Amino acid sequence: MNEYIRVCDVEKYYGNASHVTKAVDRVSFSVDRGEFVGVMGASGSGKTTLLNLLATIDQVTSGHIFYENTDITMLKEDGLSEFRKGNLGFVFQEYNLLDILTLEENIVLALTVQGEKKKEIRKKCREIMELLEIDGIRDQYPYQVSGGQKQRCACARAMVNRPKLLLADEPTGALDSHSAQTLLETFGKLNREIGATILMVTHDAFSASYCSRILFLKDGRIFHELVRGDKSRKAFLQEVLDVLSLTGGEMSDAG
Amino acid sequence: MLGKLSLRNMKRSAKDYMVYVLTMTIVVALMYAFNSLIFQNELAEYFELVDLMAVMIGFATVFIVLIVAWLINYMVRFMLEKRSREFGIYLLLGMKRKMISRLYMRENVLLGGVAFLLGMLAGVLLQQVLRAVMYAMLQQEYRLHVSFHANTILLTVLLYMGCYLLALLRCKRKFRKMNISGLMHAERQNQEIREKYEPAKRVLFPLSCLFIAMFWLWFGHLSSGGEIVIFLVGLVLTIYLFYLGISAWLICYVRKGGNRIYCGQNLFLIRQFASKIRTMQFTFGTLTALFTLALMGTSVSFMFNDYENTVLQGKFPFDVQVYSADTTDDFADEREVIDRYVEGSTYYTYSIYTDGKNRANGWILTHLRSWGTMYQNPDGTPNWPLIEEMLLEEHTYYWQDTYMALSDYNALRRILGYEEKSLEQGRYLLQVKPRLLEEVLEAGVDLELEGLTEEGVLTCGEVIGDPFSQDGHNGADYLLVVSDETAAGMQPYYAEMVAQLPKEAPKGLRRELDDLVREPEEEFALFPSGDLCCGSDNIVSYAAVNLVRRELVLEVKYMLSSIVIPMFYIGLVFVCVAVTVLSVQQLSDSAKYRFRYEVLLKLGMGRAARSRLIFKQLAAYYLCPALLAILISGKMILFMSGRFVAMTGVPAGSGKFFLQSILLFFGIYLVYFAVTYVGFLRNVEGT
Repeated sequence: MNEYIRVCDVEKYYGNASHVTKAVDRVSFSVDRGEFVGVMGASGSGKTTLLNLLATIDQVTSGHIFYENTDITMLKEDGLSEFRKGNLGFVFQEYNLLDILTLEENIVLALTVQGEKKKEIRKKCREIMELLEIDGIRDQYPYQVSGGQKQRCACARAMVNRPKLLLADEPTGALDSHSAQTLLETFGKLNREIGATILMVTHDAFSASYCSRILFLKDGRIFHELVRGDKSRKAFLQEVLDVLSLTGGEMSDAG
Repeated sequence: MLGKLSLRNMKRSAKDYMVYVLTMTIVVALMYAFNSLIFQNELAEYFELVDLMAVMIGFATVFIVLIVAWLINYMVRFMLEKRSREFGIYLLLGMKRKMISRLYMRENVLLGGVAFLLGMLAGVLLQQVLRAVMYAMLQQEYRLHVSFHANTILLTVLLYMGCYLLALLRCKRKFRKMNISGLMHAERQNQEIREKYEPAKRVLFPLSCLFIAMFWLWFGHLSSGGEIVIFLVGLVLTIYLFYLGISAWLICYVRKGGNRIYCGQNLFLIRQFASKIRTMQFTFGTLTALFTLALMGTSVSFMFNDYENTVLQGKFPFDVQVYSADTTDDFADEREVIDRYVEGSTYYTYSIYTDGKNRANGWILTHLRSWGTMYQNPDGTPNWPLIEEMLLEEHTYYWQDTYMALSDYNALRRILGYEEKSLEQGRYLLQVKPRLLEEVLEAGVDLELEGLTEEGVLTCGEVIGDPFSQDGHNGADYLLVVSDETAAGMQPYYAEMVAQLPKEAPKGLRRELDDLVREPEEEFALFPSGDLCCGSDNIVSYAAVNLVRRELVLEVKYMLSSIVIPMFYIGLVFVCVAVTVLSVQQLSDSAKYRFRYEVLLKLGMGRAARSRLIFKQLAAYYLCPALLAILISGKMILFMSGRFVAMTGVPAGSGKFFLQSILLFFGIYLVYFAVTYVGFLRNVEGT
């Protein structure tokens, strides 16, 4: 297997001396190149904390995270931003598009931060917008387009630099079912056509069924893992729902 | 419960709007300190023009109350908008509108109260500083003396409450109209960016630049009232439309895909700036107007201050000087009065002569810059009918040319400690005011005086520009010095006496001297001026029959400080108010749009780079209205100070006052900028 990201015994504590919360409790797993991994769990299970650790936005309390041979837990502030710049892309529930920029400019911004040349920027921007089918609304502002279109623009912004890993935090959380489906198909397309490695956090079984592998998180620990293999998406969805029903009501209050 | 809620909210607001509280504190402190000049002015007893200071400060206060009320109103509405979601929740909980409005008002009054108390404390300190400065200006000894005066406090309280009333009244209306969904969504209102007709609006930018260029070129040449009105209207339009234009211009540039947006953080910077300016264009326009007024106010202040420090002493070179229209006057009465006050004074009595002609008057009226070509025929020769009419109607110059005998001239020069002058055969000396020396020399004195001596023509031997009391006593603007024999052949015009006192002139001397000449019908005139003509001095001119240096210098200084101090007061308050609006806007934006900076971080921008970006963003935001204000006020101030220098003879370049006020302005600016920058970073980085 082509091991790409390796998470070793990662712990993350919050709180003070009198009261400590273990958000992530000795989690270890690895992700292969070109994989589409889902992380499922109820509210407070630690999935967003785990994503933030992988995203270098938050620091681990103990343990290591390797991207190929780089241990990001050992990097300093400058190194981290340099690392983020070249390796990571983000998609969030709230889109986080800048409202003062048009959709195209939001994508251009990601490239100018990297210091690319104008010609290169325009070319990459055009390609990704065509791929995600948002080139028709390139001059619109975020408030002028639908949630699904915003989220696809956020994807485009995240992917335009061809990052090693695309991190998605509840990307379908604010979308209607049709837009959510389109977006997930987009993820699938990115995964297949340009070989993007994707790590998606969700508590929605339908979204998770698009992944190739799912990690189930509970109270900061991984308690189960499902691999899609050659199963159809429908069969995989059924399997996910079975796991969720096994864990009882705790999961359903989030879903 | 409501009381507790409003107290907590007040605490939070005070933290969020630190800059606002700071400014209100400064404003109260300034109000208290300046108001104390109305009621607790021990200096006032010393001078006859007491009420001038009170009137001028009162006048300044009107503007200040209006502008502070605007600030409070702006802030109250601004906070209301930011907290609309919270008020929506109160409504959802079933609170009545009236209750919420009362809660909000109570919070604001509490906030205002805290600022008021802090301000009063600072005000007592500031009062001491202000008085020390004033005493220093008037060269009086100042002893630290802390006192509270009921009237000062009362007036400050009333003014402050007036500001609040003005501001809060308008806000009540807003509460009456609110509804839940409106409140819940008010927060998102200004996120929409409306872009329509940008290419058309873009034209406004070069248009306003063009207008400012025209303004620079033509401001000095405006003559008719109509032109001035047109220019003023244009100026106001420019101030407001400039921002619309610049934002449209930037948007078009971004849309076109100009090269610069692809490098570094320019895209973010330009867009941020353009959209902020677009939503704030009217506020920006108003701020520019405030900055312009503040710069002009402080410049005027600096001008008069400079005049006090440089020119004033030279204006009254003799300890005492007395004029008399009676050419045979021996000044016995005046001597007796002076002797009664100070023993051992020395006197010198002399005459000013005239040849009964207007040759020198004509020359002066056709050659000085301040008269231009007003009294010239189209071919450049003097327009005699017009000159004679002017001499008769306006008391600028004496009706006939003024001469002095060389021996008198040298006697006076000895008294003043100047070296004596000699006169060659066929020559005369021209003594002018110091400020006229340069332009007279430049014009070249080609005035030839015929028929005064038997030899024929007298030509100018030397032009002298030492301070020589030429505001009507030793001639108006100029004096022709001729040999004693020549003067003897002329008619005495009026009599003069100077006295040098062994010590400083005591208080009251001038009043008694004035009583000697005061005639019944002149009872109401401030100073008897007789037939004195004070020359082409403008802005500050002082003509009086009796000049007692010590009293006059103090009095003129006091009079000038009643211009300097209120102007300064206005300038300071205006700048503080304007910068507060800028700062509060940015600080609340930094909290509201924190995610924008988080996104940048996630896109891989380092923290240091982000701080630099914020610095650039703030700098652009702060500089834009300031630069426009400097551009606009610059021309007016340079023009004004040019005139001021020309008319009063202050030995300074006309740019000096402008520079001084810009320095002061940016000093205050820098403090607010630093506070905002630090707060901004904290807001963006805080978790």
